[in-house]
Amino acid sequence: MSKPLVVFDKVQKHFGNFVAVKELDFEIREGEFLAIMGPSGCGKTTTLRMLAGLEAPTHGEIRLNDRVMNDVAPHERDTPLVWQSLALFPFLTARENVEFGLKMRGVDKAERKERAIKWLDKMGILEFENRHISTLSGGQKQRVALARSLVMEPQILLLDEPLSALDAHLVIRMQAVLTDLQRELGITFVYVTHSQSEAFAMADRVIIMGKGEIGQIGTPKEIYRAPANQFVAEFVGRNNILAGKVKSVDGGTARITTTSGEFTVPTNEVQLVEDHNASFVISADLVHIASEEPVGGNKAYCKLISEEFVGSMVTLFLEDAQGHEFKVQMQERELSKFDLHSGDEIWLSWDTQSAHVLNES
Amino acid sequence: MSSNPENRPSLYALTWRLPIIFWQLIFFVGPVLFMVAMSFFLVKNYRMTEAFEFVNWSRMLTRGFFWDSYWYTIGIATLSTVCAMCIAFPAAFALAFRASESTRRWAIFLLIIPFFTSYLVRTFSWFVILSESGVVNAVLGYIGLGPYTMLNTNFGTLVGYMTLTLPLVVILQTVTMANIDKNLIEAARNLGCSPLRTIWQVIIPLSKTGLIIAAIFCFILSFGDFVAPFYLGGSQEPTLPILILDTTKSGQQWPRAAVVAIMMMVTLFAIAFTGIALAYRKGKGAK
Repeated sequence: MSKPLVVFDKVQKHFGNFVAVKELDFEIREGEFLAIMGPSGCGKTTTLRMLAGLEAPTHGEIRLNDRVMNDVAPHERDTPLVWQSLALFPFLTARENVEFGLKMRGVDKAERKERAIKWLDKMGILEFENRHISTLSGGQKQRVALARSLVMEPQILLLDEPLSALDAHLVIRMQAVLTDLQRELGITFVYVTHSQSEAFAMADRVIIMGKGEIGQIGTPKEIYRAPANQFVAEFVGRNNILAGKVKSVDGGTARITTTSGEFTVPTNEVQLVEDHNASFVISADLVHIASEEPVGGNKAYCKLISEEFVGSMVTLFLEDAQGHEFKVQMQERELSKFDLHSGDEIWLSWDTQSAHVLNES
Repeated sequence: MSSNPENRPSLYALTWRLPIIFWQLIFFVGPVLFMVAMSFFLVKNYRMTEAFEFVNWSRMLTRGFFWDSYWYTIGIATLSTVCAMCIAFPAAFALAFRASESTRRWAIFLLIIPFFTSYLVRTFSWFVILSESGVVNAVLGYIGLGPYTMLNTNFGTLVGYMTLTLPLVVILQTVTMANIDKNLIEAARNLGCSPLRTIWQVIIPLSKTGLIIAAIFCFILSFGDFVAPFYLGGSQEPTLPILILDTTKSGQQWPRAAVVAIMMMVTLFAIAFTGIALAYRKGKGAK
């Protein structure tokens, strides 16, 4: 694919004794929409801030266009960031905010105004150009913040949870605005978020971070269907995780014995060894329910504990006789055929190919 | 308005408000009104007699020495404000942005300590340092400079003003700047603003209100101060507070001193109002 725009080479960040980033090795490709996702405190914002020069790496190198950036001051970089709090200047109007970066770069007044107006117009907020920031709505402020960064015509735009303060319906709208912008401009977006829906909806590739380390890098689909390890599987959520011992390996499949029974799994690329521990996941949406015991295959008999209703989709939370939790995600109209209530018992089953063996257990 | 019983303060609330109202009436509004009245009194044979004559006003306001003193006081109080704001800024900047939370708290505590000692005592201690045989000239003497006359000069007056105002100005500036959203400073850096430029482009606009209030305080304190210009400035050129003292001493001219005092109050009101209006002025486009 395209050449790397940014390279993180064994990058570490310590704050005193606290290690915020353990060791990062990854590349950001030119023109991609990369999301860095993880729980709070996983080091994702620190990673982004190091790229903007607001934090200096303790060890390792960050290269932008093959140039080592470690000692480049933030104001000498071309890496505009969109803050979670937006960080718009309250003493300036919308247009003055957009012009700020150009003014600092010494662009003359007439060109500044022209470019600011072009971007305010592009973001659909030109009518507010002379308004003060405090008089704008959340969505309007968001657009000013984007225009302020994009007017610099950077190669790369950094975004630090910019949608987290918005109402749900605005988030969906801004997601579309962001993806359209990124495709149209062809510049690289690095988007930090804790929200899986935001990351998966927009990004070409996602980096899952946990405790200062990379859990997995991949397309949203790869991460969703084939989580690399338990951390990613748990973080991505709605995954049934089963752990046990390998009983036998037979070509492309293996039998794994768990407390909840014996199951067949595809081995994928993972090297499974008999009598060794192994764990695997099945996405909640790939599990079927049946009132009669299925013939053969992977199955579990569970009791319904609770259900979570989100629009057309329902997630069932169940427990087998050993107390292991199972999750099933399905269409509400499918579920209504079963007339289930809490405490009812039902059979779960899934195709062998739906299971995915994890790298580490 | 008063017909609405909800708006009428209860007897309980009034009981608590009355003492401060009485205090203000008796010790502030009353004396000010009396002073205004007194400015129309006459002095005959060193005795003040009640009258309603404009002679004190016309005498004072047509005299060159009054206006010399007036503009000199405004000038040196302005200079004092500029000096205090400039000297305090780097210290406040460091405390607000470089120091840790606990260092800042300690620094503010230490800046309050000078107020424990009488301002007069602190002023007198400058004699030891600034006099021609004092510490500063002794040190300068070693490297073959001086002695310089520092007491009884405008410089002496300014040193006195700084003694009075600097700790307060540093505290006010520090508190103002410590409250700035640090993201805004980083955002400016991120958009290509060098650290030095950030001060003008972001920090000063963001702390405008607090900085103006610090300046107003500094001006008011310097403008009305008697100790610094009298003891350290040697009242070579009398400031208005010294003029008041001289006027009361020479021929018991309390009414004329009242004229000076009223002029001072009017000036301070005008400056304080203008300053506050500037501090809270919203820029264009604001609702």
